Amino acid sequence: MTSIGTGYDLSNSVFSPDGRNFQVEYAVKAVENGATSVGIKCDDGVVFAVEKIISSKLLVPKRNVKIQTIDRHIGCVYSGLIPDGRYLVNRGREEASNFKKLYTKPIPVSALADRISQYVQAYTLYNSVRPFGISAIIGGIDEDGSHLYMVEPSGTCWGYKGAATGKGRQAAKAELEKLFDRSTDGLSVKDAIKEAARVIYIAHEDNKEKDFELEISWCSATETNGLHKFVPENLLEEAIEYAKEQLEGYEEGDSDDEAASSDEEPATGDADGDVAME
Amino acid sequence: MNHDPFAWGRPDDATYGRYNEKIAYASNQPTTNTTQPIVTGTSVLAMKYKGGVVIAADNLASYGSLLRFNGIERLIKVGQNTVVGVSGDVSDMQHIERLLEEIETDNNYDNTYSESFEQLQPSYVFKYLSAVMYSRRSKMNPLWNAIIVAGVENGAPFMRYVNLLGVTYTSPTLATGFGAHLANPLMRRVVDREEDVANTTREAAVETIKNCMKVLYYRDARSAKSYSLAVIDCETGVSLEHGIEVDNMVWGFAKDIKGYGTQKV
Amino acid sequence: MNGIQVDINHLKKGEVSLGTSIMAVTFKDGVILGADSRTTMGSYIANRVTDKLTRVHDKIWCCRSGSAADTQAVADIVQYHLEVYTSQYGIPSTRTAASVFQSLCYENKDFLSAGIIVAGFDDKSEKGEVYSIPLGGSIHKQPYAIAGSGSAFIYGYCDKNYKPDMTKDETVEFMKHSLSQAIKWDGSSGGVIRLVVLTKSGVERLIFYPEDYENL
Repeated sequence: MTSIGTGYDLSNSVFSPDGRNFQVEYAVKAVENGATSVGIKCDDGVVFAVEKIISSKLLVPKRNVKIQTIDRHIGCVYSGLIPDGRYLVNRGREEASNFKKLYTKPIPVSALADRISQYVQAYTLYNSVRPFGISAIIGGIDEDGSHLYMVEPSGTCWGYKGAATGKGRQAAKAELEKLFDRSTDGLSVKDAIKEAARVIYIAHEDNKEKDFELEISWCSATETNGLHKFVPENLLEEAIEYAKEQLEGYEEGDSDDEAASSDEEPATGDADGDVAME
Repeated sequence: MNHDPFAWGRPDDATYGRYNEKIAYASNQPTTNTTQPIVTGTSVLAMKYKGGVVIAADNLASYGSLLRFNGIERLIKVGQNTVVGVSGDVSDMQHIERLLEEIETDNNYDNTYSESFEQLQPSYVFKYLSAVMYSRRSKMNPLWNAIIVAGVENGAPFMRYVNLLGVTYTSPTLATGFGAHLANPLMRRVVDREEDVANTTREAAVETIKNCMKVLYYRDARSAKSYSLAVIDCETGVSLEHGIEVDNMVWGFAKDIKGYGTQKV
Repeated sequence: MNGIQVDINHLKKGEVSLGTSIMAVTFKDGVILGADSRTTMGSYIANRVTDKLTRVHDKIWCCRSGSAADTQAVADIVQYHLEVYTSQYGIPSTRTAASVFQSLCYENKDFLSAGIIVAGFDDKSEKGEVYSIPLGGSIHKQPYAIAGSGSAFIYGYCDKNYKPDMTKDETVEFMKHSLSQAIKWDGSSGGVIRLVVLTKSGVERLIFYPEDYENL
């Protein structure tokens, strides 16, 4: 960051003289250090993937689940402070449950994303709280089809075709853009699983010294009956295989393409994460 | 000192506790909550057999003596191996349906194994429902129902009853409402004690329940011809059939009945 | 209020009530709601030209029976909910509207006497839907619904004469005959027959005077 807070960064709800909320920007920093998360929207569903850095060899493999279900038809993955994310997901579940109680129909994804983002935004207004240290990718299926949104610490919420956040977001975003350029006649969720795995593997390249585990979930009208579920073991294995294969090609072929994963970042979050806005 | 003029001359809150305003504003009538069911469903029947449970309820919602809504479903499937049969007030039954859907959703949160070994079991569903029923009766605002939870758990049949008072019990045969008087004796001819369950086949149990539904249709003035029947089997899971009709009724003897005593024509 | 004793139940007994004949019927192109126009206080006719067909959204209407005050209050609250819903999520389905009615009637069942039929036309599916919400606050989707004190006399007629997917004219005739019989036998129903037709082309009001329906 170019400037330090000079006293204006100690409290939420106080602008700096040049109109910035430093607490929110610091929260974005927390996100930027988090593990990479990716979301892909297809015609018939959405796919979530997340990199899980293995911080200790004592962790039980496959049992520390990161992607969460907000309602049966909506999933969520986030980068940054994981407990903040879990708290936000709980709030999302309440919203979804309240909606269903009154209207007896599942909450539309757009409505949920909107409610969650308003909640996140409220945490930028008061000096008694700090903003959420996460960017959350929220997606699922409703009566109007598939949807994918990303909510940032400021409360910003945009709809995406492909979203990426966390440490490896730059590389991931570049890959997602290329993916959507390539697949002009649509992308199936089954293919998207493989691509999501590949994107995470590529995004992990800059962090190679650390081992990681890959977690993928999906929500599709055709494959999961509109429910948000983890992908079956065999599909996950297949995707990982594909990702590793592609990675070898990537390392040989695209090595001069590395500009995308440069460390330099604009200080303000607004260019962050948006890949091809809907 | 409390500077509110309305507090002057009153006992000190710090010493005597806050004054309960409800006493001053109490109505001269007692507060009442649900005092009667309005739209109602009649009996639910269930019995065990070797390796499972059969449960049935008809498809009618009555409004007093008016047989108002045909074609409703009173057997609710929960998870993979539980069926909840509800009799009594239909609005409360629909409330229970919403509660069950909510616990099913909650169980799927962060539960990767919600479809295998960590799924909802009949005993969990029953514990939950009986807690709800008891807490509502303790608030003097009961859910006006009698419920049978049926299913299979750990390879054995599960069956238990709870009602608006929060009373719970089990038995190899269970029935609510009219069924408790008319169907239980018939079902007990097949399974009288827990030991008899092992000697009872699925077919025998289904046949018994079907016969009971016929007897209830003969004798319960709030029952319907069309009913739902579910079998929850250890091996094959849940099969729920809606809209079965009472058959093999015997009416022919009516033509020989003339007058009410000595009359011959 | 302190010191003034109010017997709510005594007041409730004297309340204006819609001892009514109401119905809603789905047909080929949508749905039609119908009602008589009599409002009574005991045996006095407080209003002989009442409109018991109430809009809660452009193409979602309801028929009200029970206490006039209760059903008006409930309809007003639902209308408010649907307005908010529309501004946030777009046009509500008939099901959504009916379940808002249902929540209100169920949660407040001890204080309300309201028997409501919700009927609406969904522009997306181009289908009419009817939901019946009787006294306890349960909800029942039906091809057609009848309610109110007069309905008791026409269960048989309606069951025999209703056919799915009728034309508009057939449906209007069916409803005219049904309500005419209900009015004939129920002292708490009377006045004119009002109908509201909800189809793709919009909302149409029809009215039939005693001379139109009494001698069908």
